[in-house]
Amino acid sequence: MLMFPVSAAGNQEVAASRISEAEWWMAQAYEAVLDAESADADVSGLLVRLNDAAELLSEARMAFDGGDFDEAAGFAESMSEVGYEIVDEAELLEIEAAKARVHSSWGFLAISVLGVSVVVVASVLGYSFFKRRYYRRLSKMKPRVE
Amino acid sequence: MKFQDYRTVFQVSSLALVLLAASPALSLIVSFPRSGESFSELWLLGPNHMAENFPFNVQAGEENSLFLGVGNQLGNSAYYLVYVKFRNQTQPLPNSNSSEPSSLPSIHEFQFLLEDGDVWETPVTFEILDALVHGDSMVVESVSVNDRVFQVDCSSTWDSENKGFYFQLFFELWVYNSERSTFEFHDRFVGIWLNMTG
Repeated sequence: MLMFPVSAAGNQEVAASRISEAEWWMAQAYEAVLDAESADADVSGLLVRLNDAAELLSEARMAFDGGDFDEAAGFAESMSEVGYEIVDEAELLEIEAAKARVHSSWGFLAISVLGVSVVVVASVLGYSFFKRRYYRRLSKMKPRVE
Repeated sequence: MKFQDYRTVFQVSSLALVLLAASPALSLIVSFPRSGESFSELWLLGPNHMAENFPFNVQAGEENSLFLGVGNQLGNSAYYLVYVKFRNQTQPLPNSNSSEPSSLPSIHEFQFLLEDGDVWETPVTFEILDALVHGDSMVVESVSVNDRVFQVDCSSTWDSENKGFYFQLFFELWVYNSERSTFEFHDRFVGIWLNMTG
């Protein structure tokens, strides 16, 4: 087995690049969760996982600042994996939420059409009934000449 | 009452009923703006989870604890970052007027996400690890926050008015701006003064 000496500067570069990648995944995951949330999806489960990912990213950044580049790269890689999974799940949740929204929109629309129809029909019938009754009562009140 | 008056009453009440019946469909089109202000809260509590008994007279090698909390009232989930910073009496604090963070490097950070209306709280333990007195100044070389050690090399001169070597541990709140794809200082910070005389 061949062993190559890895310089501290090389480790630092690798760790820095892993952290940049992890930050990118974190941003993607957060934006995917926001999109899912605005589509009315229940994102509480995803937020729990995103919090774990955020913690990993913090650990990576702090390990990097402390000069522990191997640890930093390890945390960053774990974070990127979690971030990738979250993006996938958030997109699925968003699609499901959008479907559910379309279904409920049709339901709301049907309820409204039915409700408005009932009100219009009842109003027309009620109005004509009231009008008839009003004029009948009015005609009874006319003075009669005997 | 004339017939025309009855008719007007009839028309108005029918229109109100039509609007009521159409409200489920209208709710799909009309969106109501969020009422109230959007803001975030940032707080510190003492070791007993109360706003009292904050660590003040501290010594090197002594562990101190606090609770740090953040509340999200922004109207949507938010991605927060809290930087922990350490300074002496002359080093810069965040500038509230220009909404600029302190230029000091952070010694620890917390990243987390919060749903609208939720709060996040975490225990924070800190310890001054190495502090040396040179004449009328004291140098704090390293500080540990939640078991992570950071070199700070921060010196403070003797404050003859308040009789002590004073340092401050403070916490800056940042929030992720998804439009700019970056964290921005959220114009909030809290801190505690530490007297290292003892």
